[in-house]
Parts: sequence; structure tokens; C-alpha cells
Amino acid sequence: MGRLLLSVLALALLSGGPAQAADAPPGASSCTGCHAPMKVTDSVIPRIAGRKVADIVTFMREYRSGAWPSSVMGRIAKGFDDQQTEAIAAWFGAQPE
Amino acid sequence: MATRRTFLKLAGAAGLAAPSLASAQGAGRVVVVGGGFGGAIAARTLKQLDPKLSVTLVEPNPIYTACPFSNSVLANLREISQQQFRYDGIKGAGVTVAETSATAVDAAARTVTLADGTKLSWDRLVLSPGIDFDWGAIPGYDEAAAQKMPHAWKAGAQTVLLRQQLQDMKDGGLVVMSSPPNPFRCPPGPYERASLIAYWLSIWKPKSKLLLLDSKDTFSKQRLFQNGWDQLYPGMIEWVPLSKGGKVTSVDPATLTLVTEFGSHKADVANVIPPQKAGVIAAKAGVADRTGWCPVEPVAFESTLQRGIHVLGDAAIMGAMPKSAFAANAQAKVCAAAIVELLAGRAPQQPLLINTCYSLLAADYGISIAGVYRPDKGLLAEVPGAGGVSALSAVGGLRGQEALYASSWFRTVTAETFG
Repeated sequence: MGRLLLSVLALALLSGGPAQAADAPPGASSCTGCHAPMKVTDSVIPRIAGRKVADIVTFMREYRSGAWPSSVMGRIAKGFDDQQTEAIAAWFGAQPE
Repeated sequence: MATRRTFLKLAGAAGLAAPSLASAQGAGRVVVVGGGFGGAIAARTLKQLDPKLSVTLVEPNPIYTACPFSNSVLANLREISQQQFRYDGIKGAGVTVAETSATAVDAAARTVTLADGTKLSWDRLVLSPGIDFDWGAIPGYDEAAAQKMPHAWKAGAQTVLLRQQLQDMKDGGLVVMSSPPNPFRCPPGPYERASLIAYWLSIWKPKSKLLLLDSKDTFSKQRLFQNGWDQLYPGMIEWVPLSKGGKVTSVDPATLTLVTEFGSHKADVANVIPPQKAGVIAAKAGVADRTGWCPVEPVAFESTLQRGIHVLGDAAIMGAMPKSAFAANAQAKVCAAAIVELLAGRAPQQPLLINTCYSLLAADYGISIAGVYRPDKGLLAEVPGAGGVSALSAVGGLRGQEALYASSWFRTVTAETFG
């Protein structure tokens, strides 16, 4: 039984699987107020669910530094350090597109 | 990462024995009072995070009328029906909706009593009652006076009444607004309202003026608003701060007169936004303090006055986080996740929260304020170095872009909450 459990856990770790909302890292649940989990008509705000993790991290870093101009995202990105940003990016990256 | 929850789910899926833990995880009754931007998404998120939870949303109105963008209704940019949402999506998500009001809370017995006498038991209670008005704070301004001098600070019939009064006003008329002392729902709201009324007046009744009497000497996004007023509506809006006699000390609804410490103003249309406090159920539940608002801890937003009762949104004292729909939405999702953890006997995570508030100065002219918040010394505090307002000098169509983001946010948050 122990071996079975370990293999089940290993499988879960390898496959990743869709992240559960309850496991969302700090800050992630605030993002969905604008970046909807579902498709929203007539919204110009891009969806980030299912995007490449590295792309989300890059955008957030460039918003934070000002290298990529923004209206509000620069002000928000400055509130998250690298580790927090990477955790949020990983979680959104694991959501269904 | 394999958390303990993942482990339990996998253990269950693999037919492994963890019966006592698994059943304990699914137990729990949560009652949410108030179906606005905080309560509605709290109920929905609770059910989404743990479908085994019994979640009841207590809300007397079958149709919710949203405050954000209701100033655009005044300016005839939107219809009130575009502000209105039903609870069908929330019911479809498995939440039981009790279409009545909560009249009493017994924190010790862990029950809430409904208007029809029913008592609901809860393991955790979420109060998201929004605001009520401090009637009597301005002598002469009561519920009857609000039919002559609408507050329009709870969207719906009051919004439609104020719009009608503006439309019936003669060109060259005087609109007088009064803005309340802090804290109150939607800090930039009175100034967005002044802007959008001026926008509408400048098109349809351009000889008119708007006098904004304020109980404060400073306000949210002040330089952005005042720069915008000078640029868009020169000479139309006069703002009178507290120190120049802006505080309204009494009103006479019969003559539409607003009296200040320095004089009196007779209006053609009067919009009195009165001082506010937490929705009345908060005081009945014993979670409001002497300020009229509800102190909470900054992780799960549990009341510091009553165990087991969480307070969200405008009613709560959230430290540096303002009273906005965006903030209520963010707090509700954090609170829901925390309650799931607490019911399972685990400690909730230390949260980070975002607020973003857009205001319109014209149909295609938007500005914003944003902040990131974390628990610090028992309150939500701003993360230093983050947040702030839109750039004072707009380049590259920034104001138009923010107006589009504002409407996009509204579509998204209402879809997430009510869709």
C-alpha cells in the first residue's frame, strides 16, 4: 500500500495536473478580479490562465522595472518579489486555458 | 507541490483509507449574509473550493444592483439594467440562496435568524452587509429627505431618481453635492460622480454649475481629478473643502437647501451622500465597534469581537485597504480559502491582496489607484513601493486605455461573481 501511495504521489508531482484554487499562492486570487478564469466578452484585459509560466514571469518583471510600459500593472507588480511572482505564474500556468 | 489536501484527494482516489480525515474535510456549514461584491463571490468560492460544504447566501433582493459604474447611469452612458445581476449563476454553483434578510445573530449558539423566523446553524458565518447610512448625522436628512435629495449611494431606484432630477433641471441650474467624512464606501466615488455629472451637463445643460461641498480637505486621486476638471470642464465644478466651509451641517429638503458652517446653498438638484457605517446586521451581531465599523484580523478577516464570524468588504476595518468592490472581491476569495483551511483544522496562509479602483472623468477618460496589501501588526498594510495613482501626465492614449480597462474589469468581476 505504501508503494502504491508513493507512486500515486509521484505521478501527481510529475504530471502537475490542474492546480486547485485552494492551493493558490498568496496574491493569485486577487488577479482573477481582472484576469478572468473564464472567457469574458468585450474585455480588453488579457487572460493569463494557461499561459506559459516563463512569459508571465517575464511580463511581471518588466512591468516592475518599467521596461514594459503599463497603466496599472507596473504599480501592482512592484508589490510582489521574485518568489511570489514565480509562484503566482506557476499557478496561472497550470490553470486550464 | 503535493500538499496535504492533494494527498487526501489522491488517497481517496486510490481507494486508500483515510476515512476520518476525509469526512472531517467535507464537513461544515457556512452562512454568508449579503449578496454584493463580497458576499456573493465568498459563497461561490467556498462551494468551488470545497463542494462538500453547505453554503447558504442570505440576500433579500432577487436582483443585485451594482454601485460601480452607476455614476455612468447618471450621465446617461448606461442603463440601470446594465448594473443588475441575478443569483442564478450562484445557485447553479451549488449555493443555497435564502431570499430574505438576516435579523439576528447569536454568536455563542452559532445561529443566524432570518426574517421569516428560520434559524440557520453555522460553523462559520460571513457577514458582508455593505453600508448603511448614519441617518440623523446631518439634521434634516432622513429617509424621507432622500426622496427629495437623493443619496444614490446604494445603486437602484435612488440612481434613477437622481438621473431624472438632473434631466428635469433647467439649463443654468445649480447641482449641489455633499461628500461625507472618511471612512465611506468608494473613496473616489463622489469625485467620479461630480465629473460624470459635469460631463453630461456640458453636453446637455452647459450653462449649469456643480458645487461639491466636502467634509474633507483632501480626497482620493485628487490631483488627477482636479487636473481633469480644469481640462475637461473649466469653471463648471467648484469644490469646497472642509477648511473653506464645505461641511454640510443641516439640510432643508423642502427648499433643497444645504447649510454649511459658512453659509447656505439653494440647489436645483441636491445629492447628499451622508456619513456611513457598517450594514445594520453587523451591530446586531456584535461585530461593529464604537466607530460603527467592524474590526477584523488580517488573515481570514475574522472579527476581533466575535469568534467564528468573518466580516468582508465595506463594513470591515481593513487597515489600508479601501472600501471598494475590487477590494471586497479580493477579500472574499482570501476569506473563503481561509475558512476552508480553518474548517479542516489547518492554519490559513498569510495572504497578499490587490486593490484597483478605476474612476471615469468622461466616457473615454479613466484614471486609477492601485495597491498591494499584506498583514502587518494586526492590520492590512500597503506593501511599500507598490501601488499609487495613474501618471499625472497622460501619454499614448493612457486615459482612454484606462477607461477601457475600467469597463473590462466590471465585465470580468461581475462574470466571476454572478455569471
